[in-house]
This record gives sequence, C-alpha cells and structure tokens, in this order.
Amino acid sequence: MRLDTSTDPQVGFRPPGPLDPSTALQTYDGPFGRRQAAHLSRRAGFGPTPQEVDALAGLGMQHAVDSFLHPSVPELDFPDVPDGMFDPKTRVSAPQNWWLDRMLRTRRPLVEKMTLFWHGHFATSYTKVPTYLMVAQINLFRSQALGNFRTLLLSVARDPAMLIWLDNRFNVAAHPNENFAREVMELFALGLGNYSEDDVKDAARAFTGWTVDTHGAAVYKENLHDAGIKTILGRTGPFGSEDVVNLIVAQPVHQRFICRKLLEYFVYSDPEPELVDALAQVYAISGYDLARTVGTVLRSNVFNSSRAYRALPKSPIEFTIGILRYLGVQQIPPDTVTWLRRMGQIPLAPPSVKGWDGGPAWINTATLLARFNFVSKVVSAAPRSDAQTAPPATAMAAAGAAPMLAGGAPPMAAATFATLTPDRIVAQTGGMDAGRIVQLLASGALQDDVTSNVRKTLLDYLNSAGAAAPAPLGPENYQDKIRGALSLVLQLPANQLN
Amino acid sequence: MTTRRIFVSRSLGVAVLGGTMPSFFARAAFAQALPSAGATIDPRNVLVVVQMGGGNDGLNTVVPYGDDDYHRVRPTIALEAAKVLRIDDRIGLNPVMTGLSELYKQGHVAIVQGVGYPNPNRSHFEATQIWETASIDRPSSTGWLGRYLDRSVAGPPAPQNLFNAVALGDTLPSALMAQHVDVPAIGALNQFGLNAGKDPATKTTAGALYDGALPGQSPYLSLIQETSREALHGGDLLKAKIAGYQRAASYPSDPFSQQLALAAQIAGSDIGTKVIFVSIGSFDTHAGQRAQQDRLLGYLSSGLLAFYKDLEAHGCADRVTLMTFSEFGRRVAQNASNGTDHGTAMPLFIAGGKVKGGVYGTHPSLVDLDNGDLRFSTDFRAVYATVLEKWLGRDPAGVIAGSFENLPFV
Repeated sequence: MRLDTSTDPQVGFRPPGPLDPSTALQTYDGPFGRRQAAHLSRRAGFGPTPQEVDALAGLGMQHAVDSFLHPSVPELDFPDVPDGMFDPKTRVSAPQNWWLDRMLRTRRPLVEKMTLFWHGHFATSYTKVPTYLMVAQINLFRSQALGNFRTLLLSVARDPAMLIWLDNRFNVAAHPNENFAREVMELFALGLGNYSEDDVKDAARAFTGWTVDTHGAAVYKENLHDAGIKTILGRTGPFGSEDVVNLIVAQPVHQRFICRKLLEYFVYSDPEPELVDALAQVYAISGYDLARTVGTVLRSNVFNSSRAYRALPKSPIEFTIGILRYLGVQQIPPDTVTWLRRMGQIPLAPPSVKGWDGGPAWINTATLLARFNFVSKVVSAAPRSDAQTAPPATAMAAAGAAPMLAGGAPPMAAATFATLTPDRIVAQTGGMDAGRIVQLLASGALQDDVTSNVRKTLLDYLNSAGAAAPAPLGPENYQDKIRGALSLVLQLPANQLN
Repeated sequence: MTTRRIFVSRSLGVAVLGGTMPSFFARAAFAQALPSAGATIDPRNVLVVVQMGGGNDGLNTVVPYGDDDYHRVRPTIALEAAKVLRIDDRIGLNPVMTGLSELYKQGHVAIVQGVGYPNPNRSHFEATQIWETASIDRPSSTGWLGRYLDRSVAGPPAPQNLFNAVALGDTLPSALMAQHVDVPAIGALNQFGLNAGKDPATKTTAGALYDGALPGQSPYLSLIQETSREALHGGDLLKAKIAGYQRAASYPSDPFSQQLALAAQIAGSDIGTKVIFVSIGSFDTHAGQRAQQDRLLGYLSSGLLAFYKDLEAHGCADRVTLMTFSEFGRRVAQNASNGTDHGTAMPLFIAGGKVKGGVYGTHPSLVDLDNGDLRFSTDFRAVYATVLEKWLGRDPAGVIAGSFENLPFV
C-alpha cells in the first residue's frame, strides 16, 4: 500500500541536495559546535538561551541528545492542573498559559515538544470540549510523549476529550457514529487511500461502547458495544477497540505514516520515501517505541546535515517561546495567546481535527506581521532601568558582574519582561560599540546565520548612516536604537526558520 | 527569487524559475492573460466567496418543509413547517435567516439547489480540496480562483496590484493558491501593518534587510523573504487605499460579519480587487445540530443583509456578487445524537444587485437516494464556470476542466 501525501502542503519544500539513504539514520560523528547545539535545541525543544548553546556544545552530540531524551535534572514543580480552570473568566486562558509557561521553563523540553506534536496530531479543541478535559488530554500526551504509540492510540480512544471531540460517546451498537473511526484511519494512524469505507464502518462498530459519564470520565458500557463480527483491514473477528489499534499499528503503511510525520516535525518537509522507510523500520523493530524512534532521528546524520539546518519554518509557538527564552523572559506575558492567534496557532484550539497544516501555511502577510509586531512589543516592553538618570556605561559597570539572563528568577512583577535590555547589551559588549553590538545579537540570536550585507545594514542603522539626521549611537539614543536593532534581528527571515 | 508560486510548479515536477529576478518581472515572464470573454461586463466587478466550513446541512438551510419524508427522517431536528420562511409551498429558509429572506424577496438572491459532483468525497479535507481546486480526480496545487488570477491579472505591463485578491482570515485558502500571483491573507485591518516603534529608520531598515542575498538553502527562506517584503509594504498601502470608505450599515459583532464589513470596504473602494474570500466555520454538526447550525446561519444571514445594505448605500451593490459554498451537505436522515453525518449535495446562495433572484434547479429527492445521500443535480463547476464567464468576464477554459452549461442566475 502506498502513502498518499497529496494533501500535504509541505510537499515541494524538501531542501535541495541528495540523500544517502544507507547512512542517513546512522549516528552522526561530525563536528558539534554552537550551530549544531542550537539546531538540536530548536528542534528537540523551544530554542536555547545563549548560555545553553555553549553548555550543549560542550557536551558533544551524544550527551547533548541524552540531555533531551533522558534528562537527569529534576523537573521544576509545575502544577498538574491550572488555577482558574473552572472560573468562567479564565476557563480558556488559564489552561493555555499553564501550558505555555511549561514550554517556556521546563527542564524536559523534548517531552513538551512531543506533547505539542501529539496535540497537533490528535487535534482536539476547547471549542467543543470542556477545558478541564483538554488539560487532562494534554497531561495524557505529556505522560506518554515518548512512550509507545500503540499504547498512546489506545489511550486516546478512551480519552474523555477525544470521546467528546469526535462523538464516540454517541457511537453505540444501535446507531454507529463513524466520526472517530474515520479520523483514526485518515488522520491519526493510516492516511488517506490506505483503508476502505467498509473498514471505517466496521472500525466504528468496534469502538462502540466507550462513552463519557456525567462527571466527564470515560466509561465502557458493554450493553452499548457491538459484539458482532467485523472485517477490518482484511481481518475478521468480533473486534473491540484494542483489536483495531493492534491491527492498525501492524500495518507497514501506518509505520511509514507516523514516521513521515515525525520526520516533518523534526528534520525537514517532504522527506524522501527512502528516509521514511528507513525510520519506519526502526519504529517497527522497536515495537512502536517513540523514544527509540525520535532518539534515532536526533542522533542521525540527516538530522545534523546542512540540508536539515534551518530547513523548517518555526511554528508560532516555536517562534514565540524561542524569543521569550532568548530574551530571558521568565513568565508568559499576558497577551501572548492573542499574538499566537494572529500568527495562526491558538493553543488548545487547532483549526480542525487535521491539526495545523504547518510548513508554508504558517507564512503569509498577516501571520508575518503578527510575528514582527510581537517582537517589537516584547522588545519595547523591556525595562529602561536607570537609563534616564545615569550614564549607561557607568550603570553597566555596576551591573556588569551580574550574568546576563541570570538563572535565578527575577521578582514576579518584572518576570514578564526581557532581561536582555539595552543596558545589559551595552554591558555585555563593554560599551556603545555598534560593531560589537551587532556581533552579540547576530551570534546570540542567530548563531551568526546572517550575511555580511545584513551586518552592514544593521551597523548603518545603529550608526544612523544614511539617515536624514545622522546621530551615531550614544547615550541619547542607545535605548531606542538597540531595541530597534534587536527587533530587526529577531524579525529576520533566518529567525523564522527552525 | 523563489516563492510559493515557484514551489507550486516544482511540486508538479516542472522547474520554472531560478535566480534573483525581481518578482514582477518574473510574473511578467509567465503572464497568460486571455482575452476577455464578455465585452459588456463591468471590469470593476468583484466576486466575494464565502466558505461555510465543516459541511453545512442543506436540508435545514433551504428546508423542504412540505415534504413528509423530511419530517419522517429527522424526527427531532426537522424545522417546523409553520416557522419556516416560505419560498414556495415546498421549500423555505431556516427561520433564523430573516436577513437573507428579506434579500430574497427583493430579488437579490439566487438559490442553486442540489449542488455537488460525481462520486462525492466525505472527508472534510479532501472534499474541501475538491471544491477549492475544482479538481475532482487528482490533487491540484492551484485553486480555481488562483488559476483565474493567473489568467487575468498576472503579467505586464505594470507591476501587480498586491490586492488583486484578498483572503480575509489568518490562512490562505487553497482556492486562492496561484502560480504567478501572491494573495495576501489579512486577519484584521488594524493588525495589518508594522509597528516599528518611534524611530522611522527602523522600518526603512527592515525593508532593506529583506532585499539581497539569503543565508542558507531552505526553500522556505525565499518564501519568507518575499512575504516579509509584502507584509511590510502591503498594510500601509491597503489602509490608505480604503480609508475613504465609511461603513453605511450596522454589522453584527460576530467575527464573520466583521469580515464581511471589511470585504465591503475593499470591494466598495474600487482598488482593483477581483476576488475576496471570507469564511465562517464549525458547520460540522454531528451532534446537537439545531443550536449550532441555527447560530451560524443567523450570522450568515444577518451579515449578508448588512453587507448588501452597506454596498447599496455606496452605489456598489451592482458590481459585487457573493457566493457561498461548503465542502459537502449532510446525510438525509439524522443520527442518534441529534446531528447529521457527512453527506453530499447542498444548496448554494448567490447574492448581489445584478443577481437574478429565484430558485435554480430542483430540490433533490429525499427518497431516491444514493446510499442514504442526496443525488446532486447541478455540478459545482457549472456554478464556477458561470461566475467566471458571466460575472468576471473570463473564459472558464484552463480554469475549470471540462465544459459546463452556464446557469442563468447572473
């Protein structure tokens, strides 16, 4: 059976250059510097702080991947459920910000990244599902983020949010409702063209009986289950939900389907069929083990190749959290979800059961403007410190001992602001030197993935060369100029790429 | 330059362009403008397309209230005959659609019955692709409106108008995917512009940064770069172009009606826009259909009435036509959840000052069914072809595969 990719908007966005399928998934043993380390952090997490880039690079590739896959540091003490989840005013915003906060601060970024993957894959939305059940579903995804797909799919089939979202709670022997069964086959596990309408009908019968009680708990009601004989994917028997899941995951086309999607999330768009087949073998041999499968990807030659480097557009969440992390923001600013909506990705509300299209669909004039304006907003909101009253160089000499982006949590009131302020930048570069400031920003934010033309344009901007009223960088204008330069760097096309 | 348009070609296996040509020269190189099919058609005509996402249940929209079978197969979700807004002694509009009913009585609304296509697809995503690309047998990377744009506005002599077509919403629909024309997607006008802070040099510099060479080899990089340029300049341009238009009707506050208000402003400002795409979602009523669908049809109807009145007050109602579509209708019989599952044919609405109001085609039989679903009587591509030829003045050849007889609604 073939894998139908005809509706994938990412087709056509494969990076140029050849693939060697025989070595693509073998363990990479080339150089592992700041650029490779930042690449790993962007893909396996939500992007690094400048310190994290150096620390990761120092570990070497194997230990760096291990630090994502098998973290030894204890996780921070995050609440299991958000406060305010049952308050009508914060019913939606509290769970959204609860999750974004975890993405921002977690010490298990790969777990959170996979949780986001499963949210987009088993796309369920609060527009139909009570948010406390959305929270429970996110917690389910997190607990099995790098577990076993067979177990995960079965858990999803019995997840209250999903039972409501795709109407399986109404799927009973007397009146089958095909909605869930169809999406399991089309979107969750097999893909279009790899099953028949009769498979959908009989799978729906097999899923009958699982419903939701008045407390929002999943329950199995034997008397609502269709115990009759079904024929699904060429096999016949009195199948139930676990049988359907087992039949599906054993299909080679399922193995390719899920591995292709993982490759598009972690490596690049429209992966070669040979690469998909190679990963599908790893996945099948592992018994559908996600940590083994994802680990193989992260250590591979193809993941560490120049073809994969900055080869995917950042999703709005990756873009937003990445910038907050770079700027040293410790707490999700209250209007973040509003910005994410403008960028086209509302957490807990994917646009349909297909999830977010991703790839080129992230990029249009409206969404890019939202990205630009989010950057301007968060950069301009950074505090001005003592700039108006004290000469910055002196102020910074005093503050110079404190490390930039300090690990300790700043006071709550200031936590939603960037710690990477103009004054800190001047302190880091040891004075108002436009060249060193451009270098600090290009290196810290983009690992020097900027052209010499861009450097020169930024330098001219800081030095006001070519402006109507030239005013070189100095105490009078450095606050606005450095904020402007920082915004311009974070808005660059290179920073839209992951 | 490599852009969305070029990728489209690549994905079809045709390498079209490379190098660093400025975009409008590149577009000129591929212009395929065809002679206009109708000399008497006002070149300022605008088509507004409204997507009713999720699969709208046609039988509870244009209701066959006079048909006993309707009430029999929908025991709990059928609309009461006494409340339906009657069109004739067989059919009427859902009672919430008072605004649309008013426009219908004024003769400004055509209802095309039983619209569909052979071997209907019941997947939301595939069916939406079929409707938006007008390609039934195989996937197409261009939409029907995109191909229309490629054949009508791409090319020399002048650089393109960025607003030949506009998608109101955060994503660009497949219908507007073109090979040679970029279509901006606009979520809301007050967000369509760069907030560059106090220093005007910031915006100038941003412009300069998006020109020139690119670091890296990702196919996404040039797409992002070109879209960045358009985003940077497009917002200011559009705001200035439509600033003179003042709303002349009171729109409801729901997001769909607000989008229609912006559509009217763009259409009424005569800035060369040919196509505006608007969408309203969540018609996927598998359970508890009545409350959900009635609410959405209420938005559609009230929004449309305000839209028409607004344009009429500006003297523009005669050069704007609006048409609706949905990826499929729903099953004839209700399900056990007081909802309906994915089905097939449904009615479309076409509204505007030049539209010849009335009902076109017959209501599909509720008894002579295809596997529990309605049989279509009008191919949706006939509706598209009619709009292209009779409203936009373009030969449908090359835009719509196959040949379809025009309908007389415009």
